[in-house]
Amino acid sequence: MYTTQLLDVVTTAGVLYIVAVGLLVVYGVLKIINLAHGAFLAMGAYAGVLTTWAGWNPWTALLLAAVMGVAVAALVEWRVLRALYARPLDTILATWGLNIIVVQILTLYFGREIHFVESAIAQPISVAGVTYSQYRLVLFVIAVALGIFVWLVMQRTQVGVVAQAVIMNEELAQALGINTRLVRFVTFCLGAGLASLAGALLTPLVSVHPNLGVPWLINAFMLVLVAGVSLGNLALAALVLGGAQVLVSSYGNPVLGSLTIVILAVIILRFRTITI
Amino acid sequence: MRKSSRTLVALALILGVAMLLGGAAQSADKQPVVIAVPVGLSGVNSVVAPAVVQSAELAVEELNAKGGIMGRPVKLMPLDDESGPAGAVKAFNTAIRQHKADVIITMETSAARNAGAPIADRAKTLFIYTSFYEGRACGKYLYVNAWVPEQIVSPLVKFMTDQKKVKKWFVLGSDYAFGRGLIEPAKKMITQLGGTILGEEYQPLQQSDWTAIISKIRAANPDGIMYATSGGGPNIDFMKQFKAAGLKMPVGSLSIDELTAEQGGNAAEGVYYTADYFTSIDNPENKTFLGAMKKKFGANLKTPNSLSEPEYDGIYAYAMAVEKAKSTDADKVAAVLPTIVFKGPRGAVQMNKQHHAPLPVYLAQVQADGKTKIIQSFGLVDPGNQCPNLK
Repeated sequence: MYTTQLLDVVTTAGVLYIVAVGLLVVYGVLKIINLAHGAFLAMGAYAGVLTTWAGWNPWTALLLAAVMGVAVAALVEWRVLRALYARPLDTILATWGLNIIVVQILTLYFGREIHFVESAIAQPISVAGVTYSQYRLVLFVIAVALGIFVWLVMQRTQVGVVAQAVIMNEELAQALGINTRLVRFVTFCLGAGLASLAGALLTPLVSVHPNLGVPWLINAFMLVLVAGVSLGNLALAALVLGGAQVLVSSYGNPVLGSLTIVILAVIILRFRTITI
Repeated sequence: MRKSSRTLVALALILGVAMLLGGAAQSADKQPVVIAVPVGLSGVNSVVAPAVVQSAELAVEELNAKGGIMGRPVKLMPLDDESGPAGAVKAFNTAIRQHKADVIITMETSAARNAGAPIADRAKTLFIYTSFYEGRACGKYLYVNAWVPEQIVSPLVKFMTDQKKVKKWFVLGSDYAFGRGLIEPAKKMITQLGGTILGEEYQPLQQSDWTAIISKIRAANPDGIMYATSGGGPNIDFMKQFKAAGLKMPVGSLSIDELTAEQGGNAAEGVYYTADYFTSIDNPENKTFLGAMKKKFGANLKTPNSLSEPEYDGIYAYAMAVEKAKSTDADKVAAVLPTIVFKGPRGAVQMNKQHHAPLPVYLAQVQADGKTKIIQSFGLVDPGNQCPNLK
């Protein structure tokens, strides 16, 4: 029983982390909440549908999703967002608009009906005497790997270090001759690519429809609000909030469980000292 | 002079009135019978709504080819109820006031039906509801030709108890009217048959991660489970996660349908469910119906299912009732409707039990390729006491 719950907690945290990390990256550097995050998730999920239709290996969906996400993000950043950075409130409108446009295009092409994606791993596995979903465990491993990957990008690459400078003090970074325009471009693409990747990773668990991103966007948004701009904080927030959700669902009921993340986020925000 | 002019005026008046009357009478003859179909073309029902409209289109085309209803052409009026109450109010008012609908025959969400039915009732417009639902919707002008829980739940619970030896159950559902409305009678039936319920859980509608409930099922270790999610995708989400977690007990579903099972590939393999309509029902009426649907819609055909097929039956039942009553007057049609038997793809359907219909019920199991195989027929199952205050 406790093993199962422990597994439930860590894998749920893993899923939440995967879904939220792209949003956090964009929020950290660009200081905007990418409300199109849900649309990028949906796009990634449909990459899974395309892969299933084509009969390719289910893992290729990840690559396809990331490429699609980055391509759309590059176009949008270049033509739309770039002009709006001086007007942060308008970026909310712009990204929400982008969300609607992407969702409608997906609806036009794929229809409103629900699609299903082939799972790469559908078998259960035995862990410490408990039969458990192997895919959820794989997701947890992927979450850790993604965390390390993004952390390495931020700490060990030129772009990452420059991005950190932009996070800390944008005017100063600009004055030092850092090309903040490029940093913003790369970050937005990275964030959207991560979001689409997350969408593709979710599809073996859930069915695909154009609005599948919305409930995930809300949870990711709460996590990012709590975590601020730190990857470590995000992992912690995913563990605490996701864990609380699982435990409340297990010992209470899932209806209360679904409220947990939102309620905890509000409480934490009330007492946390703002550091941004 | 004066007298003759007065006669002339009177004559002209009489002629005029006669012409008007004649014209009116003539146009009443040719005036179409308007069948309104407010259905969820947008919103949650948008997956199934096109199939409902297709069923209606075929029925109307066939009726018109045979000369319409009482010689009057039949006009179909599909409207969008947005799958909810606000849209239904608009759609019903538009149908009744603007398009002067003679009848409303449609499949809707329970929320939309609850909003629309009083409007039809006040306007004294006949309303034939063709969606399976949680039961006990009653009204003088409201008739239902699809299943209620009594018809579907009992046979399934009974089968799993007797054949699959399920004594200890876990029941779960989506947290809304339909999910809870179907789990409630299932629980009653389980206890009646001597079974015990180890756990009962409901999941919020928008939540697609079933992990917590699956862990509870694993901990409770029941002989079998019975679930009622919302229609479509959630069935497959749940079954996928259930199997990926390595759980193997027999599963009875109160919410899966043929189309969803097929789209889900092998996800729902082994799931038992009961319904009144399957494409594989082996009778000549069903074969003719499916053939005509394929011919009319070709590649655009939405697979007919237990939510869409009753629309076809409903329109035929109405047409036969009007012919028998020799009028489209709602009171007259309502008076004869319970006597009408339409032998359609599901078999003979008659709405003679408190405005509901005894229906042929079948037990089926999802196969490895997602196709549904009928494994048992229960014959006609009575809807029970749905509206004791109605005849």
